[in-house]
Amino acid sequence: MQPRRPPPPAPGSGPWGPRPAAPLIALLLLLVPVVAAAESESAEDRGQPQDAGLQRRLLQQAARAALHFFNFRAGSPSALRVLAQVQKGRAWINPKEGCKVDVVFSTERYNLESLLQEGEGHLGKCSARVLFKNQKPRPAVNVTCTRLIEKKKRQQEDYLLYKQMKQLKNPLEIVSIPDNHGHIDPSLRPIWDLAFLGSSYVMWEMTTQFSRYYLAQLTSVRQWKTNDDTIDFDYTVLLHELSTQEIIPCRIHLVWYPGKPLKVKYHCQELQTPEEASGTEEGSAVAPTELSNF
Amino acid sequence: MRWILFIGALIGSSICSREKFFGDQVFRINVRNGDEISKLSQLVNSNNLKLNVWKSPSTFNRPVDVLVPSVSLQPVKSFLTSQGLEYEVTIEDLQTLLDNEDEEMRQNEGQERSSNNFNYGAYHSLEAIYHEMDNIASDFPDLASRVKIGHSFENRPMYVLKFSTEEGVPRPAIWLNAGIHSREWISQATAIWTARKIASDYQRDPAITSILEKMDIFLLPVANPDGYVYTQTQNRLWRKTRSLNPGSPCFGADPNRNWNASFAGKGASDDPCSEVYHGPHANSEVEVKSVVDFIQKHGNFKCFIDLHSYSQLMMYPYGYTAKKAPDAEELDKLARRAAKALASVSGTEYQVGPTCTTVYPASGSSIDWAYDNGIKFAFTLELRDTGTYGFLLPANQIIPTAEETWLGLKTIMEHVRDNLY
Repeated sequence: MQPRRPPPPAPGSGPWGPRPAAPLIALLLLLVPVVAAAESESAEDRGQPQDAGLQRRLLQQAARAALHFFNFRAGSPSALRVLAQVQKGRAWINPKEGCKVDVVFSTERYNLESLLQEGEGHLGKCSARVLFKNQKPRPAVNVTCTRLIEKKKRQQEDYLLYKQMKQLKNPLEIVSIPDNHGHIDPSLRPIWDLAFLGSSYVMWEMTTQFSRYYLAQLTSVRQWKTNDDTIDFDYTVLLHELSTQEIIPCRIHLVWYPGKPLKVKYHCQELQTPEEASGTEEGSAVAPTELSNF
Repeated sequence: MRWILFIGALIGSSICSREKFFGDQVFRINVRNGDEISKLSQLVNSNNLKLNVWKSPSTFNRPVDVLVPSVSLQPVKSFLTSQGLEYEVTIEDLQTLLDNEDEEMRQNEGQERSSNNFNYGAYHSLEAIYHEMDNIASDFPDLASRVKIGHSFENRPMYVLKFSTEEGVPRPAIWLNAGIHSREWISQATAIWTARKIASDYQRDPAITSILEKMDIFLLPVANPDGYVYTQTQNRLWRKTRSLNPGSPCFGADPNRNWNASFAGKGASDDPCSEVYHGPHANSEVEVKSVVDFIQKHGNFKCFIDLHSYSQLMMYPYGYTAKKAPDAEELDKLARRAAKALASVSGTEYQVGPTCTTVYPASGSSIDWAYDNGIKFAFTLELRDTGTYGFLLPANQIIPTAEETWLGLKTIMEHVRDNLY
């Protein structure tokens, strides 16, 4: 399952990106590069491994947030990407404002049936600037990625997936995807991919510099009929948040048509206020979120 | 002969939807350049042909093996010819090959296969795991014995497998802990595979033989039996024990926040409904207390390894503080060597570091307790994967995970053997 990856390059030294324009330098000087963790103790605790560890964690956090956002914006269930390797980056922590991260990372296709994965052509590359506002969700993301899949092919695969979804009988009697043994029936794969796409929006919104989300399981699915040709998809997922280890059920409603922006509405049940991050809000968007403002 | 088994293993891991392969053939296609690779991708990715790639090329001028169902033979041959792609048919009828292989495997029942055919590439019930532990003990009576070290909250037995080549003396020992978080199924599955591996490889593999000549190994495949049963019957994503919390509607405590190492410190919660609830006091969870009592009574443990999932991490103390452990450098070097050995099998990459900064602060953890109680070589392994399937790791990854993890474990155990203190 694990494709071979080339050994990671040495962690990036020095800032990434072009020299900032003069007016921005003043702004940047406000964000002081910090090497100690927010939760560390005395000066003697600061040492190399801790700095590297913190930087690495923040870079990975930023890369993940950027990828969730990217996947959502691309709106293509057959072109989903996952993080392969963080290649370089830099994080600035401002205790009052939050955390700014510039990161460059490689990605691979989420679609696990994707064949011929080896070789340079099949690892995408992204660069992103992510702003985590102090423990508040909805990080600001600016991300650019190289094209991983040819546009025409992506459109074809999306359309195929669309047709497969349209052909599913309604209401669906799905219990869970994957099943408890991790198996996803190939015929149910389109549902999973579409669910992952919608969940990407939710996971992006909920990610902070401390919390990291994964899609654990899809537990119920309903597809509604619509008058137009869109896929109107209502489902529940279980998200896993790593730092608190909590499982968060989220009800997600998405409306999708190949090539059109994705519309997502969701409501997550926060059962437990995490000890570390105070002020965690219930993610609940009342009105459908349009893509027009992106 | 081995080639046949290799193909069989590939089939087991890659083909999910169809069961019989009458008339299906395997084509070996030569791809000489990028242009040919894209032509081949085009063919392979077209959905109605239902082709299945067995071996994809890593560089040019290496062949690609593709399984072609009998119905697609004609169109594929036409395509390859018209595109000028060189190929040969290496397997003319897959079903015949498989039938022959089945017969051969049945005849070659070696010591690796237990008599009741416990499938190591699948997830099992608690009873099945316990039964297999018993089988291992009967299959290797001079080496292995199943020992009851206590019971769970709901009164299920806690069994360890003890591997010892000399009775009587409490030799320096290694503790392998698994399944403390019940939803991390790859942990229990890897542990039972490892149990069979230790037993089978003794007196065959020089490394494990020399380890066992000097030390005992104790393996606890299911450190949280109640939780495990709960994940099979009620909630696949249950993590904690199933103890009652008086006055609370929520059950269980996080058994890996319940050890007496900065108990109730950072990275744990005092709310019974939290997934990281530390419990009312250290060792309140009988599952934890059973292990603590056993190890303390034994008095001669040198190594404690705790298997978890997921994230692919190899970590050493501390979790409860960002302060460096006195042996951090040695443990870091050893962990890096172990991670390298693990990666040598399938390229699976693990990150290495102290718990607190590698994953998150966590107080009351097993390895911190072990380390602070004189067990120097204390490691937590977070097994596959990195989030794609997470806890729901497909069963077809059990054996690959166990095999690579084994190399990592051996690296650590060899170092312990050579550095007894």
